Amino acid sequence: MTFSEHPGAEHPGEAELDDEHPGGEHPGEAELDETFEAVLFDWDGTAVVDRAADASGLQARVEALSAAGVHVFVVSGTHVGNVDGQLQARPHGPGRLFFCANRGSEVFRATPRGLRLVSRRVATPEEDAALDRAAALVVRELSARGLGTEVVSSRLNRRKIDLIPEPEWADPKKAEIAALLTAVERRLAMTDAGTLADVVELARRTARSAGLEDPRITSDVKHVEIGLTDKSDSARFAARWLEDEGLTGRLVLVAGDELGPIGGVPGSDSLMLVEQLARAVVVSVGVEPGGVPPGVAALGGGPRRFLELLDAQLARRAARRVPRVDDDPRWVVPLPVHPSSERVAEALGALSNGRAGTRGSREDRGAGSSPLFCVAGLYDDEDRLVHGPVWTDLQLSAPPADGKGGSTVVDLRTGVLFRADEGRSLRTLRVVFAQRPYFMGMRAEAGDRTLSRGNAPLTVEGSCARAMRRGRTAVASTGSKEVRLAVAASDRWVDRSGCTILERVCAWSAGKKASPTERRAARRLAQADAVGFEALLAGHRRTWARRWRDAGVTITGGADAARDELAARFAVFHLLSSASARGEAPVGARGMTGEAYEGHVFWDADSFVLPALVALSPRAARAMLEYRIRRLPAARAHAAELGLAGARFPWESARDGSDVTPTLVFGAHGEPVEILTGTHEEHIVADVAWAAVRYAQWSGDPAFLDSPGRDLVVETARYWASRIRLDHSGHGHLDGVMGPDEYHQVVDDNAYTNAMARWNLRRGADLLSEAGSGVGNAKSANGARAEEAASWRDLAARLVDGFDAERGIYEQFAGYFALEPLMVADFARPPVAIDVLLGAERVAKSQLIKQADALMIHHMLPEDAVPGSLEPCIDFYEPRTAHGSSLSPAISATLLARAGRPDDALELFRVAARIDLDDITGTTAGGLHLAAMGGVWQALAFGFLGARVEAGGLVVDPRLPSAWQQLSLRFRVRGVPVGLTASHDEVAVECAAPLRIRVAGTEAERGSQGRVVVPVRQETSGRGATDAERSSS
Amino acid sequence: MTETQPTARVLAALERGTAAPEVLGIAIRVGEMTGAAVEAVHAGTSAPATLATLAGRVGVPLRQVAGPAGRALVSELERPEVRAIVMGAGRGGHGALGVGATTLDVTERSAKPVVVVPATGHLAEGPLHRLLVPLEGEEASSRPVLEALLPLLAQEVEVEVLHVFTDETLPRMLDRPVRDTELLGREFLAKNFPVATQILLRSGTVADRVVEVGTERGADMIVLSWSQDPSEGRARVVRDVLRGAALPVLLLPAAGSGRTTLHGQAPDAAG
Repeated sequence: MTFSEHPGAEHPGEAELDDEHPGGEHPGEAELDETFEAVLFDWDGTAVVDRAADASGLQARVEALSAAGVHVFVVSGTHVGNVDGQLQARPHGPGRLFFCANRGSEVFRATPRGLRLVSRRVATPEEDAALDRAAALVVRELSARGLGTEVVSSRLNRRKIDLIPEPEWADPKKAEIAALLTAVERRLAMTDAGTLADVVELARRTARSAGLEDPRITSDVKHVEIGLTDKSDSARFAARWLEDEGLTGRLVLVAGDELGPIGGVPGSDSLMLVEQLARAVVVSVGVEPGGVPPGVAALGGGPRRFLELLDAQLARRAARRVPRVDDDPRWVVPLPVHPSSERVAEALGALSNGRAGTRGSREDRGAGSSPLFCVAGLYDDEDRLVHGPVWTDLQLSAPPADGKGGSTVVDLRTGVLFRADEGRSLRTLRVVFAQRPYFMGMRAEAGDRTLSRGNAPLTVEGSCARAMRRGRTAVASTGSKEVRLAVAASDRWVDRSGCTILERVCAWSAGKKASPTERRAARRLAQADAVGFEALLAGHRRTWARRWRDAGVTITGGADAARDELAARFAVFHLLSSASARGEAPVGARGMTGEAYEGHVFWDADSFVLPALVALSPRAARAMLEYRIRRLPAARAHAAELGLAGARFPWESARDGSDVTPTLVFGAHGEPVEILTGTHEEHIVADVAWAAVRYAQWSGDPAFLDSPGRDLVVETARYWASRIRLDHSGHGHLDGVMGPDEYHQVVDDNAYTNAMARWNLRRGADLLSEAGSGVGNAKSANGARAEEAASWRDLAARLVDGFDAERGIYEQFAGYFALEPLMVADFARPPVAIDVLLGAERVAKSQLIKQADALMIHHMLPEDAVPGSLEPCIDFYEPRTAHGSSLSPAISATLLARAGRPDDALELFRVAARIDLDDITGTTAGGLHLAAMGGVWQALAFGFLGARVEAGGLVVDPRLPSAWQQLSLRFRVRGVPVGLTASHDEVAVECAAPLRIRVAGTEAERGSQGRVVVPVRQETSGRGATDAERSSS
Repeated sequence: MTETQPTARVLAALERGTAAPEVLGIAIRVGEMTGAAVEAVHAGTSAPATLATLAGRVGVPLRQVAGPAGRALVSELERPEVRAIVMGAGRGGHGALGVGATTLDVTERSAKPVVVVPATGHLAEGPLHRLLVPLEGEEASSRPVLEALLPLLAQEVEVEVLHVFTDETLPRMLDRPVRDTELLGREFLAKNFPVATQILLRSGTVADRVVEVGTERGADMIVLSWSQDPSEGRARVVRDVLRGAALPVLLLPAAGSGRTTLHGQAPDAAG
């Protein structure tokens, strides 16, 4: 038992515990009636009465908790042998048992074979000398004030000074603390040493003067200790370790017996209340004569009460109660509750693991509900996304008349959907397991008669649907005769004192025939059952924790910045959920979050999602390219059908890579509307090649562009070479195309398409030349390749790009400048679907554009854009841009930031980041806009941070908006995990391995591992050239 | 002993003139639609024999009600069994609605639906099977329409909802215009009028589009809610539809909702 000074408090008696543990009110019984995933507790006085007490009951509980998956951290000031000798627990897991001993200096893990040292703080000889010096000085100082003390022992990293070295107080019992305090205070009163708090303060001052930078001063009333560590180090270790498991805040129970002040000094257990555990549930089982800090529940009752808490946890585990989420507002996205937003909420609450996805439909389906379970790239015979059996339905009693079915949140940190309906004592938790792509699961619990056992776990619709049940296992499949999607599910029901609990584990399988597919799903279900929901959930949380460690986003700067941060995290969450890291990953425009566009793959994947994933999850980006690689034969066939060479990728792609763009739909008046994107929006061909090169550049995957990525680039270049028309003067043209601005449907020489084709030809020529050298091919073949490469370079040079040297800007397409020069602001405030307002015909005759088009050159190919043309192009095109596409605002935000206008950029960034959260398009019900989410990350990384890969290294050139104090991103460059943090005056780069880094505007280039901080001066005047332009000019 | 519920009634307000046969005809169709018996009323001291003959020919009883016409008809409407009244638009173009004085008086004061039959319409025959319901897209204004209209529908009818985009409801982004518009429309219906069979989305001047779509879709009746405030600058859409439509217009009083509807307020869409 120790009492201690609060670290960092200038006046020990006035420690600001509120700051350490915000939360205000004490947690009530409701807070304790929860499932905790970890327990962190003080030993002496909390877990055991004293060091002689029998701890066998505790041992049994700790081992049982471990077996149930709960992690246990024992925190003690004493040597590990004392605690371990008393507890003698040897848990087998999966929950871990840690001893955080020696007042924060050591951590041991208990295993069935004994203790294993995890970490130890080892003092340097200088620190040891300083500790000795400090202790001696304190003894001398106190002696000078009339108080006789002595250094009674040397412990690891600390020195103890006995304030009352008298025989009757040689070994005071815990129960005698009040008497001990009185005796010490009486002794101090007879001297000039002041109060106990004064002595603590004296020790701290003295320790600093003795050379200890961060001395940790603690007191158990009898002693004052000077150390290098304290219990806060133990708590920080636990918090860090748990965070890596995805366990934070409310999922952690902290217990102590001395959280309140004693003798004017904060209780020693208050040191466990570190910032990282700020939202943990904290209880005291101690007497706490001075009360407890805000946010701490004073339970009293000592170790017996503590054991009751552990028993309650074991009971909850045994009953498979629904675990909670850590409702951290920085990580939790509440879904809209109004019935009219039912389908929007379903899209926002969708969970996917790259292979399969489930919409966030409520278990009892609100009016107009549109649930969906689907598998990425699983299309039926008509290239429509197969709707699988719905595995999330429950039969619930109606909510109270005034109830709306409770609130539902997506916890981005752990990737779960959590619903709580207090009116019916209902809660559910749903998971699409990230680490096991074939498994899903949910738990539900409700008060009496709310949750009925009657319904089947799987719901199917459609003429080809099948469903059967054998015992606890239900199997169902949907699809067509040739394409089947099966789900197997098993329900476990538990009744506990008025509460009905359900655990449902599911597995899916896709195949060609119904019966084998269903049998495979059932086999997978058996595997999932063998692992168990609890272990699957733990693995899922761990997987998400690791994902966030490598792909984190942090934005600071107040409430608006916090809102931006949550929106950015929401985007990253769905990006990471959208693509599998194995095999091929067809990423539909709405991912697996809705049925809009039937899961078809557009340039959204190649130009918007992939550039983000290549930095956040390179393997997923590689899988996206694999989807294209496997459809290269279809793209070749498509080109051949058109009488052209090479490969033409389709505007909309599904199962086999043929073009599935609808050609005719019916408009608002029932009139037939011809869709021209499939036949004319050819830039997709170069977009695919660009994605391949982008992947190679950022991932550093050395083999990719040798093969098979090379074929993507070369075959697309070959397509352009056959597609370009040369005029009588020898200039190259691309006639009859459509650029990203679909308001102008069929144009000649779209600047973006031409620039991309030119880039594609040159990059294809490079790869063709490289493939010909040193691979042992015949000379003639080499010669032919060289000749073809030379012809491509020649064509690239001839291809016009619409740049108007006089104006200093690109003309979006031939004849664009002659159109009616309308500005969006004259009609409406963007974003706006201005074609609806003015009519498509009028817009087509004007300079109004749907989205960044010519400016996409600056975004995709900044090194190819004419130096100095970014700002004039922004000035010209931005007022003409309606942002009538969800792809648009993020790109403009990126470019505005690069042009030194980060505050303007932020406005559009916020539009992009809120597209789905605020249902700006009105179509979120059909699924989330993944491309916009990719754009959001690109705006953060390439716009505000100015990150790019150049010559194999990372270049950083931040332009932060004034509303943000700091922006941090974590991502990978050439396989190296990088943490990039920019404020308005410096950039900090952390690399896990050596990586060349250059901060724009500075001379130095660093081959860095570890952390580098570079002061910067950001050009935000609005007219500064970008670093790319500086370096190319 | 059980209390007998009086038979539901739809009133046909017959006046002298050429509109009487059409008013009576529409009243009979409205009666079929609402499951109510039709009762003809004439406000005045003595009903012309022609009206009695007209009503008698189709088996509809004609009653004469005394007092100032508007007040007498509103009083009749207050009878609990009366569901609605059908009236001719009337002559004279009185007030903001451009209808006759009696019709204006009744539409302003009636707490129950009023069907206004255009003076120059060439109305289709047969049952009312298709209604066009223009909505502004706010749940708060759609709900009263839904709640007022549904009790009137005793027989199966197609309800087609028309939304004319306003500055507030204009879509902000349409990635794939036709497909997104379809999705937008589905969401519009789900939020505003789930019982509708179809959504029609248009842009432009609201009243023009309502009249145009009414004809284009072969609607039998247009349904408008309005705030019963025809003062200057208000009810422009209602007035313009009444003037322009060759179809009966069912006016649902939105009074008491405490809210001005689009159709009462008439802010036309841009363009």
